[in-house]
Amino acid sequence: MTDTIIEIENVGVAFSAQRRVGSGKFWALEDVSLKLRRGERLGVIGRNGAGKSTLLRVLAGILVPDRGTIRRGVVSCQLLSLALGFVPYLSGRDNAILSGLMIGLRQRDIVARLPAIREFSELGDFFDQPIATYSSGMIMRLGFSVAIQAEPDVLLIDEVLSVGDAEFQEKSGNALKERMRQGHTVVLVSHAEAQVAALCDRLLWVEHGRSVAEGDRDTVFKAYHDELHLVGTSA
Amino acid sequence: MRLHVFELIRFSTYAELRAERARNYLGLIWWVAEPAMMMAAFWLVFDVILKTGGPDYLPFLLIGLTVWQWMKSCITHGGYAIWSNLGLVRQARLPVLVFPLVQMLADTIKFLYIFALLLVILWVAGYPPNLAYAALPALFLTTFLFAAGAGFLVAAVVPMVPDLRFVIEQVLTVVMFLSGVVFSLDQVPSPLREVIALNPVAELLDAARGILMRGEWPDWGALLKVSVISLGVCALGVFVVRRLSPRYPKLAA
Repeated sequence: MTDTIIEIENVGVAFSAQRRVGSGKFWALEDVSLKLRRGERLGVIGRNGAGKSTLLRVLAGILVPDRGTIRRGVVSCQLLSLALGFVPYLSGRDNAILSGLMIGLRQRDIVARLPAIREFSELGDFFDQPIATYSSGMIMRLGFSVAIQAEPDVLLIDEVLSVGDAEFQEKSGNALKERMRQGHTVVLVSHAEAQVAALCDRLLWVEHGRSVAEGDRDTVFKAYHDELHLVGTSA
Repeated sequence: MRLHVFELIRFSTYAELRAERARNYLGLIWWVAEPAMMMAAFWLVFDVILKTGGPDYLPFLLIGLTVWQWMKSCITHGGYAIWSNLGLVRQARLPVLVFPLVQMLADTIKFLYIFALLLVILWVAGYPPNLAYAALPALFLTTFLFAAGAGFLVAAVVPMVPDLRFVIEQVLTVVMFLSGVVFSLDQVPSPLREVIALNPVAELLDAARGILMRGEWPDWGALLKVSVISLGVCALGVFVVRRLSPRYPKLAA
């Protein structure tokens, strides 16, 4: 198929269990397969420890699979990371540039967007103060304002739909939804089923490092709920 | 992509220097004050108290320590850089060589400030500028390549075995004494002296002292030999880092 931009087959990723000589391996992903098509919004569901975040890091190209194959077209994939590379003693402005470079933007593009970042983060004059003076909420607002500037072909999102106080949560959530609706290819990992249901067209269900089902949203959701229900009654 | 990484390295170096300046009350002053205090300590012990120095000891010591401190900070700061940035390596797809390189560039810029001060001290102390200064860029380039290569090698291994950090400082202290940084290798008895003279660091320091104190052009043959070794070390360091780089994102930060 021509519009498949990433395809992974039977991928496994192993970590060392401990930093000790001769410690065993732990397979965070055992056997996951998926096809990601251009323009689609894929949700990844599964319980804690199922390997969802590891899968995103494989898609981002950060982790190289220990087994299985990954085929990737000429596409840039970027994990949406808040406050990536922030340095406490630098101003909000310098941190925005640094973080922007780390998420793959060119310096002139970030500099051009600094007014928008300052505006969106609502930091005002604090923007030129060291972020060591910020509250944690302010750092997250700046982090989100920078992260949302990334323009990869495939945007990978791991549970960061909203940050800050209620008002900023709504604002950041809306901004992200807006980005997702702009026709980007998106992979979203979330525990909030309502969000996944609202934002994704297709779902991948991962359990114990294995892909259980991949398909359209309602079918996979139904299978997932049946399974949860089954486990719930048998326990 | 290439240009983007270049921009990242450039801005990160600026950020590193700027953050370091902001971290302390006296900021920039420490770039110079810290090495000056260290030099004073060595001068006190080896010249004033032990009287091992001799007539030209002060410039000998200042040049040795200035160049050695630059190499040492490239090796240690660069060497710990991947390890201390593992959190970032786990989250973002970046060429890991960026981290040690940024530290080394920041240390090099600091070195240039200290070196400028050193030149002023030398001129005042009666060692005027001379034509052989023209050889300094080539000498510094070789020195940087050697230190960077050693730094990349350390940087490659420390994330795997962080315990090495406790060993490296001690090893570097031994290397410092065996490279003729604080006392002249002429004082070492004969068979050992020839062995120690093979050390590229000793060769580099010798060349720097020849230029700055006596206006002598470096021994180009020896410098070429050191350059080849440096290039080899650097290539090996880059190779090992690249070879191991798929493993870094899996390491606990």
